Amino acid sequence: MRNLLEFLMRYSHCFLFVLLEVVCCVLLFRFNNYQGSVYFSSANRVCGTLYDISGDITGYFHLKAVNDTLTDRNLDLEHEVATLRATLAELTADSTMTDSMSRAALADYRRIKAHVVNNTLDRADNFITIDRGSADGIRPEMGVVSGKGIVGIVGKTASRHSLVISLLNSQSNISCKIKNSGYFGYLRWDGHDVRYTYLRDMPRHAECHKGDTIVTSGYSSIFPEGLFVGIVEDIADSNDGLSYLLKVRLATDFGRLRDVRVIVSPVQADIDSLAVTANP
Amino acid sequence: MNESSIKQTLWFLALVLVQVLVFNHIHVAGYATPFIYIYFLLMLNLDTKRNTLLLAGFLLGLVIDMFANTPGMNAAATTLLAFLRPWLLSLFVPRDNTDDRRPGVRSMGFGSFLGYVLTAVFVHHTVLLLLDTFSFFDWKTLVLKVLASTALTTFCVAVLDSTRKGKA
Repeated sequence: MRNLLEFLMRYSHCFLFVLLEVVCCVLLFRFNNYQGSVYFSSANRVCGTLYDISGDITGYFHLKAVNDTLTDRNLDLEHEVATLRATLAELTADSTMTDSMSRAALADYRRIKAHVVNNTLDRADNFITIDRGSADGIRPEMGVVSGKGIVGIVGKTASRHSLVISLLNSQSNISCKIKNSGYFGYLRWDGHDVRYTYLRDMPRHAECHKGDTIVTSGYSSIFPEGLFVGIVEDIADSNDGLSYLLKVRLATDFGRLRDVRVIVSPVQADIDSLAVTANP
Repeated sequence: MNESSIKQTLWFLALVLVQVLVFNHIHVAGYATPFIYIYFLLMLNLDTKRNTLLLAGFLLGLVIDMFANTPGMNAAATTLLAFLRPWLLSLFVPRDNTDDRRPGVRSMGFGSFLGYVLTAVFVHHTVLLLLDTFSFFDWKTLVLKVLASTALTTFCVAVLDSTRKGKA
């Protein structure tokens, strides 16, 4: 018995090592499907607050670029308003039913302003931390967009911060379509260049060309239909040769992300109540 | 708490802050990221107990993981480094050296110190980046990343250690 105890004491560091590595592996492999793990992510109170401060400071360095983008965007919008006014004046009375229907659909989506406080680009699975959380009405599975295009989907929420699964994440699958022809596939990143992502499962008979616009399909309630995603850069065969693989230049510049909006779907209340019924 | 443990705690906090706020965002040519926070593990006194080393390594990795959203990844690598440290040191420090000084350029000499840091950093980065690229296995990029990051981290650690040479 004494020998056994001595043996255990002598090699206690080996047992401790194995124990700690097991804990690491549990964290490593269960993080992505374990809701409680938000405490081990940057959305917890301490990390979030620290990133808030750091984000506030670094935010000033981007102000010039942000101003430039806003000016550009403003010009674009003014131009668009002018064009639309002209079109509206032409069409007047029969500015038809479909038009008002699509406007009604978009009006149902509420938007929550948020700032990006932490963002990674260099990993295989990238996450973004934003400074709004469940206390502000944000729930997992909500869509996140920037002024230029879509950004990702909310993964986990803490009371004041949320973790967003960026488009640049191997677990992000978003249904998208070609704007003109309507053929759809799903969007998933390959882990290399942060400027490009890939639209997969595009059928063989689909008509697609370089320079086509890719928008969200609206098949799930996360994103409304028609949000800008990017431009087709290249067309290739998928690995199995059964479908096309479209290389898409992303509209969002993930390296300079600062102001984003979280989209609250009108059916979110239904989804919440269904989830409660399913997990009493 | 005595003076030395307060000093260690301050080093811990300072290294974590610098790592998560500055160095985690550096990617030289898209490949090299310096992980200087492991300097904390490398410079703990020679007489630190093995169990203390392991717990310190695990805690350090876990805190970095919380900020980087990679639970377990850094913790696994730093725990392994803490486990291997006594053995690595015995490779580079003369056997009769049993005082309580900390490993550094001054106590070990430049050659041994560089060898010690380089080996330790290489082991740590290999494990860390292997775990990171788990799903996208692209060994050429991986090898390039490990080598570039190892060189950069070793350089940063050597610079950091030589700046505090006078105080130790």
